[in-house]
Amino acid sequence: MERDDRFSKDNLKRLVEGTLHWEEVKKAIRLSPKDSDRFWKYLEVLQERVPWNDKILLRISDHLYIVAKEGGGRVTKCDCGHEFGDYRINWKLGCQVYVRKTNEEIGEVVTIPEARHNTELVQMREFYCPGCYALLGVEVVPAGYPPVFEMLPDLDSFYGEWLGQPLPDESPDWFQDKTLEKPAEWVRG
Amino acid sequence: MGICYQGKTLAEVVDQRDTSFKESGYAYGLKELSLLDEDPAKFMRFQMRLVASCINARETAKLISANPMSIIQGELLFMLANAEGDVISTSYGLAGHIQCMPYIIKSIAELNFEDDPGINPGDIFSVNDALYGPAHNADCYTFLPIYHENELVGWTVGLNHIVDVGGIQPGGLGTISPSVFTDGFTYPPTKTGHNFKQEKWWDLHWKRRTRTEMFNVLDDKMRAAGIVSLHHMIQEVIEEFGVDYYRQAMKEIIERERRLMINRLKTMAVPGHYNWLQFKSVDYKDNLGRLWPASNRNWILHKPAELTVRTDGTLFTDMEGLTSEGEFHCNAYPSAVRMLTSLGIWPMFAYTETLNTALQYMTDWNLPPGSMFNPQNPWAATVMGLAEVGAVAYHYLRCLSYAYFSRGFLEETYPQDGAGCGYGVQGMLGDGFQWAGGDMALITCWGQGGKAFADGFEAAWCGPNPEPDQGEVELSEFLQPTQLNIGRNMITDFCGHGKYRSGLEIGMMQMINQPGQALIIATFSGTSGMGGAALGMCGGYPRSNDVIIYAHDTNIREVIDQGGHYPRDFVEMRQMIDDGTLKVGNMELFNCPTPSIPCGDGDLFASTSGSMGGWGDALERDYGLIEKDVKYGWISPECAKTVYGTVTDDSGKVDSQASDALREQMRNRRKERSVDAKEWWKQERQVVIDKKWHEDMHAMFVDNCKYEKFRNEFMGMWQLPEEYTF
Repeated sequence: MERDDRFSKDNLKRLVEGTLHWEEVKKAIRLSPKDSDRFWKYLEVLQERVPWNDKILLRISDHLYIVAKEGGGRVTKCDCGHEFGDYRINWKLGCQVYVRKTNEEIGEVVTIPEARHNTELVQMREFYCPGCYALLGVEVVPAGYPPVFEMLPDLDSFYGEWLGQPLPDESPDWFQDKTLEKPAEWVRG
Repeated sequence: MGICYQGKTLAEVVDQRDTSFKESGYAYGLKELSLLDEDPAKFMRFQMRLVASCINARETAKLISANPMSIIQGELLFMLANAEGDVISTSYGLAGHIQCMPYIIKSIAELNFEDDPGINPGDIFSVNDALYGPAHNADCYTFLPIYHENELVGWTVGLNHIVDVGGIQPGGLGTISPSVFTDGFTYPPTKTGHNFKQEKWWDLHWKRRTRTEMFNVLDDKMRAAGIVSLHHMIQEVIEEFGVDYYRQAMKEIIERERRLMINRLKTMAVPGHYNWLQFKSVDYKDNLGRLWPASNRNWILHKPAELTVRTDGTLFTDMEGLTSEGEFHCNAYPSAVRMLTSLGIWPMFAYTETLNTALQYMTDWNLPPGSMFNPQNPWAATVMGLAEVGAVAYHYLRCLSYAYFSRGFLEETYPQDGAGCGYGVQGMLGDGFQWAGGDMALITCWGQGGKAFADGFEAAWCGPNPEPDQGEVELSEFLQPTQLNIGRNMITDFCGHGKYRSGLEIGMMQMINQPGQALIIATFSGTSGMGGAALGMCGGYPRSNDVIIYAHDTNIREVIDQGGHYPRDFVEMRQMIDDGTLKVGNMELFNCPTPSIPCGDGDLFASTSGSMGGWGDALERDYGLIEKDVKYGWISPECAKTVYGTVTDDSGKVDSQASDALREQMRNRRKERSVDAKEWWKQERQVVIDKKWHEDMHAMFVDNCKYEKFRNEFMGMWQLPEEYTF
C-alpha cells in the first residue's frame, strides 16, 4: 500500500505514547479523509514496542493484543508476554482478580467519600495480568453478575472485506464467542 | 385526493418511504444522486440555504423566550422536515430532537389528521405526548405544514425544553411518577392554531396545567414565531430553486449523508461486537405508600447494550436483558431511544454538513417489547425516561472508542458517560406569590472522560447539549431569586483515575435566600450509588456518583456577616463543618434523584455531577503529568501517593526513585490480594447458588432471566443446573 504521510508514523508513535502535542492531535482530528494506511502504520508502531515476535492482528486494549501464533491459532497476549489463550474467550477469565467489596476498599480509588458506591448493591472488580500485574479492566457490578466480554472483533471481515487483505486462516468460526467453554471446563474440575 | 406529491396521502408517502428503503437499502430507493452529481456546488448552496434558514429562525425567535434553558443553555431547536417527516436540516441546539420528527409525522399520518382535523396551509400543530413521538413531555414540539400550491412539501418545526410540566414534582424532569397521569401536562398531537397563529384557548392550558405559565406561554409563542418565520424563508428557497429540485434534493441529502456516515465508520472502526452496561436503582419503596401499590417497591435498572459494527458499516444495538417496563418514571418509547442516543453518535461519526435523520437509515435496535424502552402499556410514565435512555447514548462513545482505538485512530477516542444534576423548584414568596423554576446548570459543564492519548478536559463538555456552558448565573438568579449562587469550584481529586484521568468535576453551592412562605427543591441525578458506568476503559476507573447535599438550619448568614469564607462546594462545606466554622442542624446526602425537599432561609444546597471515567492503569500515569496535577491543586499529594503510586512534595515535585519503589510495592500488593480467575469464579458461583445478594438484585436477576440471551449467559457462566430457579 502506498504511504500516506499526511499523518506520519512518527506522529502516530507519539500519539500512542501520549506525547503528541495537542496542536498536532487537532490536525489529526481534522484530517479528512483520514490517512488511508493508518492501520498498517499502527501495526508497525505496535510491533516495534513489544518484546516478542508473534504477529499482531489487532490491539484490543492498552496492554492486550490478538496475535497469530506461528503454529496456528489466534490468542490474546499481553505486551509483557503473558498469553490468555483463544481470543474468543473473554480474557478476564484468564486474569488475577481482586474484588473491592467494602467502603474502605473502594475508597482507595474513589477518592471523594461522598461519591463512593453503595456496597450493598455493587462491588468493584479489578482484573490484573498474571504476568505483569497491570490493571487491565474494572467492573462495577452486583455480585453474581457475569463478567462482561467487552469486545469481540470480526477479524476476518475486517481484514478480508474492509482492508482487502484476507487472513490466511480465515473461517466463520473465528467470530464466535467461546467464553462459556471456560466455566464448562472449570466445573468439570 | 391526498395532500402530498401526485395526490398521494400522507400515510401513503410515509409508507412508500419505508418500503423503498426496505427493498432497495437506499434511502428513498435512491441508487443515484443525480442532482448532487450534476452540480455539486448548487447542491451545497441549496443545503446551506436550509441550514442558514433554520439558524436564522432560532436566533430570532429565542429572543421571545424567557426560559433560561432556551436562551442560554441551548435546548432549543428549529428544523425543516420533508413531507414524510425526515428532518433535512436543523439549527444549532440540542440536535437529538430531530430524531423524533419521523415518528411524530408517522403518528399523525396513522391518525389520519389529513381528513380530521385537516392539514391546511397556516395550521399549527403541537405535541409533547411521548406515545406519539416526543421524548417526554418537557420537550414540546410545534410544527407547521409547508405547502407549494396544493402539495404538502414539508414541515417547519420548533422544539424546546420547558421549565415546568405540571407533574407531581416541580420542574420538567420529575423523578417520581407512576403513570402518564402523574407525568404532568401531556397533550397528544393537537391542532392549536390556524392562519399562522396559535389559538387563544391554547394559552389557558399552559396557565392552568403548569406551574410556570409565563415561561411556557412565551416559549409557545417563541416556537410558533420561529416556525412561521422559517416557513416563509423556505418558501423563498422553493421559489429560487424550484419545487422539483427542492423535493428531490431533500431526499438526496438523506441518502448522501447515510453513505457518508457508513463510509466514515468503515474508515475508522473495526467490525465486531462491543459491550456497554449500566445499573441504576429506582427507590420508591415506602415513598409512595398505599396510594400507588404497584409502585411501592424498588427497582434495579439493568441496561446492557451490545453494539455490533456490522460488515456493511451499519450499527445494531441489542438491548435484550433490559429491565421490564414498570410503574415508574423511567419508561421511554423507541422514538426517545433514537432521540437521546443520537447524541452519542454526533461526536463519533455523524458530524455531517447538516444534522438530519439519515442516522435512522444506518442504525438499528432491538428494544424488546415490554421492556422499559418499549412499553406496551399506553399509560406508561415517561417524564424522566430520557435520563435512562440518555445514559445509553454513551454506549456509542464507549464502544466506538474501542473500535477506533483498535484501528489506530486514537485521536477519535471519546469515551464518556451520561451525567448531570439539575433541579426543579417551587415556592411561595412572602407576599403569597407562587412561582416555580428549574435549572440544568450542571448538565452542561462536565469534566471529560480520559481518552486513549490524553486526560479529559476540565468542565469542558456536555453530552446532551452542544453548548457546554453553565448558563448565566445572573439570569438564573433573576428568575429564581431564592437560589443564591455562592460558589462554583473544581474539586480536587474528584476525577476518574487512570493513566489518563478525567477532567475535574465542578461543584455548585447555593444558599437559600428569603424563600418566604415555602420552597421545595427536587433534584434529578444520573446515578444512584451504583456509579455512572459499570465498565472502565482499559483499566481506568469508571464514573463515580453524583453528590447532592441539602444542609438545613445552618449558621451561614453569621459566617457571611462576620466576613468569613463560605463554602464553594460540598467538600469545602464538609471541611468547614469539621473545623467548626460552619454549623448545620440537619444534613441530607443523596447520590441519586431526591424527593421534593422543603428548604428554609440560610439552608445550603450543593450538587455535583459524578466524575467521568479514566483511561488505563493509574500506576502507569506519567510522573510529569502528576507533577502538574499536584502543582495546580488538581490532585492532592495524598491522592498522588495512594492512587498513582507517586511520591511528591506539596509543590508537586516528584521523587522518582521513591515513586518507582512505591509502584513496585503496589503491584506486589495486587499480586498478594488477588486470586486467579478460576478461584474467583468458584467463590462467585457459590454466591449465585446461595443467592447471597440484595433483595433488589434478586428481583433484577429474576427479571433479566426472562430473556433467553441473558439467561443463557447467566446459567452458562455459573454452570447452573437447569432446575436452578430464583
